[in-house]
Amino acid sequence: MAHIKVVRRSMRPEEYIELRYIKLKRYIYDEMREISPVYIREARQTAEMQYEFYDEEYRELNIGELYYTPDGSAFIKCCVTIPEELKDREVYLYTKTSSEMTVKVNSKYAGGFDPNRQRILISPYTENGRCEIEILGYNRSKPDDERNPETLAVRGCRQTFEGLFLATVNEDVQKLCYDCELLWDIIDSEAFNEEYREFVIRELNCALNLIDFEDIKNEAVAKAIKYIDEKIYADKTFKGNGRVALISHSHLDLAYYWRRIHTVQKNLRTVLIQLRLMDKYPEFTYAHTQANTYETLEKYYPEVFAELKERIKEGRFEPVGAMYVEPDCNVPNAESLIRQCLYGQLYFRDKFGITVDSCWLPDVFGNSWILPQILRKSKVDFFVSNKMSTWNDTNRFPHNNFIWRGIDGTDIYACVPPTHFISWNEPSQVKENWEAFQDKHTSTETLQMFGYGDGGSGATEEMLELMSRFKKLSVMPETRHITAKEFLHSNFNSDHEFDVWDGELYLEMHRGTFTTKSNLKKYNRSLENKFRTAELLSVYRHKKGEDYPDRKLRELYKKMLVNQFHDILPGSHITPVYRDAIKDYIEIDNGLDEIIGTGDKLFNTLNFPRNGVEFIPDENGKITRSGKKGNFRKVEFAPLSVGKVEAAATDTSWFGFDNEKCSTPLYDISFAKDGSIVSLYDKKLCREWVKGDFNKLKMYDDRPGVYDAWDILPDYLDKELELPLEKELTLLSVDGECAELSVTHKTDKSVWQRIIRVFRQDSGIEVENIVGWNEKHKLMKVDFNCNILTRNVVCDTSAGFVSREMHRNTSWQAARFECCHHKWFDLSETNGGVSVINEGKYGIGITDKGVSLSLLRATMRPDPTSDEGEHNFCYKILPHGGSFVEADINRKAHIYNAPLIKTDIEKITMPDFGELYLQSVKKAEKSDMTVYRLSEQNGARGKIVFDKEVKILNMLEDIEATAKEIEYAPFAIITIGID
Amino acid sequence: MEKYINEKLRPLVQGDGGEMTFLKREDDKVTVVMQGECSKCGMLAKCMSWCEGQIQKDLGEKVTLIPVRKKPFFWDR
Repeated sequence: MAHIKVVRRSMRPEEYIELRYIKLKRYIYDEMREISPVYIREARQTAEMQYEFYDEEYRELNIGELYYTPDGSAFIKCCVTIPEELKDREVYLYTKTSSEMTVKVNSKYAGGFDPNRQRILISPYTENGRCEIEILGYNRSKPDDERNPETLAVRGCRQTFEGLFLATVNEDVQKLCYDCELLWDIIDSEAFNEEYREFVIRELNCALNLIDFEDIKNEAVAKAIKYIDEKIYADKTFKGNGRVALISHSHLDLAYYWRRIHTVQKNLRTVLIQLRLMDKYPEFTYAHTQANTYETLEKYYPEVFAELKERIKEGRFEPVGAMYVEPDCNVPNAESLIRQCLYGQLYFRDKFGITVDSCWLPDVFGNSWILPQILRKSKVDFFVSNKMSTWNDTNRFPHNNFIWRGIDGTDIYACVPPTHFISWNEPSQVKENWEAFQDKHTSTETLQMFGYGDGGSGATEEMLELMSRFKKLSVMPETRHITAKEFLHSNFNSDHEFDVWDGELYLEMHRGTFTTKSNLKKYNRSLENKFRTAELLSVYRHKKGEDYPDRKLRELYKKMLVNQFHDILPGSHITPVYRDAIKDYIEIDNGLDEIIGTGDKLFNTLNFPRNGVEFIPDENGKITRSGKKGNFRKVEFAPLSVGKVEAAATDTSWFGFDNEKCSTPLYDISFAKDGSIVSLYDKKLCREWVKGDFNKLKMYDDRPGVYDAWDILPDYLDKELELPLEKELTLLSVDGECAELSVTHKTDKSVWQRIIRVFRQDSGIEVENIVGWNEKHKLMKVDFNCNILTRNVVCDTSAGFVSREMHRNTSWQAARFECCHHKWFDLSETNGGVSVINEGKYGIGITDKGVSLSLLRATMRPDPTSDEGEHNFCYKILPHGGSFVEADINRKAHIYNAPLIKTDIEKITMPDFGELYLQSVKKAEKSDMTVYRLSEQNGARGKIVFDKEVKILNMLEDIEATAKEIEYAPFAIITIGID
Repeated sequence: MEKYINEKLRPLVQGDGGEMTFLKREDDKVTVVMQGECSKCGMLAKCMSWCEGQIQKDLGEKVTLIPVRKKPFFWDR
């Protein structure tokens, strides 16, 4: 039987409403007068506030002409006199652009243009009717933060100038347009029930019928507004439920599709727009994160900063987020996250006299389990982050208002709002937020953030106008526009019993960001360790009477913290952002080297002994490791001291190699020709460690889709690619301590050499990877499938360990197929296991068979050149007896990441911290006190006893108590001060 | 020409999330591969005209740039 589908081709009532709404918008401006002449000077920004100009002089810019250049900025100016007949009206500057612009009128900052904002009120800035207008146009925004399809269509390096105009607004038409926007959203959304939508369609249609759209008259518009008031807003038949707090903010990426040098202006534009909204709407409040953005505003735009300070005093402009930037919260180590809080909070205290009690991270790609303790000890009581609720790809995160319990048992109030952090205050978005809210049994109010973001800019006039109408709609949840502080304090307190989430806040997406842009991760790890050394030596020298380089250290630290921003360190950015980061890292590296200095003695910077085999750089050495000549030697170093390096042994008889089988005093190893290990027999423990692919390099097709740099999808395992072998495993060298084997893979684009090192006296097996990498959409991993019965892989977090299930019993474990770890992971039985220690890799793949270390990716978006070029990195396979704690794996990983340094210092004396890791030692920010940060990393409880009273500090270096003994719990991070 | 495009013009388009690499030259026709945001940009022809102007200004050569768009698979619909 033939079936004919009934398709309605005639116009529906709602379509007729939309058509008339679109037409009405054309009448918002009742006067539009072109400003002419307009002049332009094209430029390119080269550094913060610095430009290279293409034109010697300004040239005239006319409507229809092209302006902007690739990576270009534009200086635009004009002068206009307000016509006599407009002098009593509010006059706006109007333009349409898909770029971003900041505008000065008579030398005062008047506002900003962007794809979502086409007018700026200039009447308050006129002087005797005259306006000298100066515009700085820059970034052409990012791919997906504009709602305006007209500007989306013309986005590009070059733009067509659409003119600058003086404009006046027909207030009634504007008002009716806001009504239509509000009601159209309800009509268009399934968040509202059908009956109510039919009611709105019927009544809005009647209202618009009062207007002759061939000849729109003000009187008719006023009648339509009145009709809507009386028929739609006055109706109370339809009931809504729920409570939604509306908090205005703007998510501003410090770098992403733009460089951080452009963010200075993006931030200025954002702040200006919000300040001007405050001028017009006295009840409007706005939350702004990242001390770094306040700092650049203060530095370059002091007059705007002064205005902002006044609004902060009034409680309308609200600093939120205690951190210096919104960092990635997977890769930075504990000390970095503490410094994010320390430098952020100190800035807010110094400039505004406030300590911010919220952590505001709407967009970060998951959150380490170590955060609750760090936040609470940095005077932060509330954690806010949106991603898990809206971006998880497998499981719905079960909470919105809850308690997050950290690795050490610290609790912090947590809010993961149910919907996206970028919203524009449409009624449907508010309604959907309440519908999605999952903690109705413990909480009565949910958080909705509104304002454009990623590239900043925040709230618009339209958002505020829509918000003012919510109370007129009985069908809406009850809403209130409040500050973040009001929301957090009124909803999170002892009056409520919250559910508890005890574990990391793993994001089930963006799993590639642990690996993308490998060199950034390697630099970050190395510099985190180098900062520790630089501060340690600076404190020592300060005690000997030298100046402490506090200013230089702080500047360098802040530079690293900026590069931990969640679109820089994770690798999700365009090519120039990568270049900037590498340039910064080199500067930091050189700066720290200057502070550390050099000398003739090798020195152990760690507060525990080291007595293994280490690589000792020596220009006459026989081995080349990571581009440096040297030799492996057995060492003997006491904590924080110089020590002994054993003389070179010359006897090579400890090592045998024949037909891919190698014998050492510790192992019998069978290799495959490709360098993977077929058998690793432990002579001491009399056991085999290998079962399956082990140390096997694997290349996969890696095509996660549009979130290319961000994501690894689980199907990568289905698409393993051939990895041709160019040079089979051969013996490269052997001396009295170390034997090197070499194997090389080669594709048509890349060369991957592995040097495998085995040792006479060290149970580690090191693999150095020397790579020329020119692949696209590839993921390189190395597999470790062990002869170990375990269901858990234990991973370092930098301040304690997390145990992750390897099975896939539920969707929660299945979703965690790729996780972040820090210096090591471990697979163990109760009497032994295998650890793998790295020097800058973070991603691991987890299956029920074993673990893979993610080595390199080759993504195309946002950076088509991502990870291209040379790479050199090492990892160390470390079989051990006993548990990973008994085997001291954590200390061995610290040693691997903090090589001996050259200095003139013999010994640094400090209190005995027992088993605790000296995470950092520094001079206090505000006094001459020495600050020691200690970290329990093995999950043990204990006590340290001092010979005199010490100050117990929080992480902001406030003195909270004094004590002679400190009892500590597992994973505690303790800060003490000693004068 | 190749050096100029790869070292002078390429960093500029990279600043807008694009990518431009020299492919070949035949007389006054220079073919460049456009990736990233450039691969789907509606203003590419206008950008190419500007680049031609820069080449003429800096190298004194009048050439026509022929852009070859190379979209990543997820945009190549």
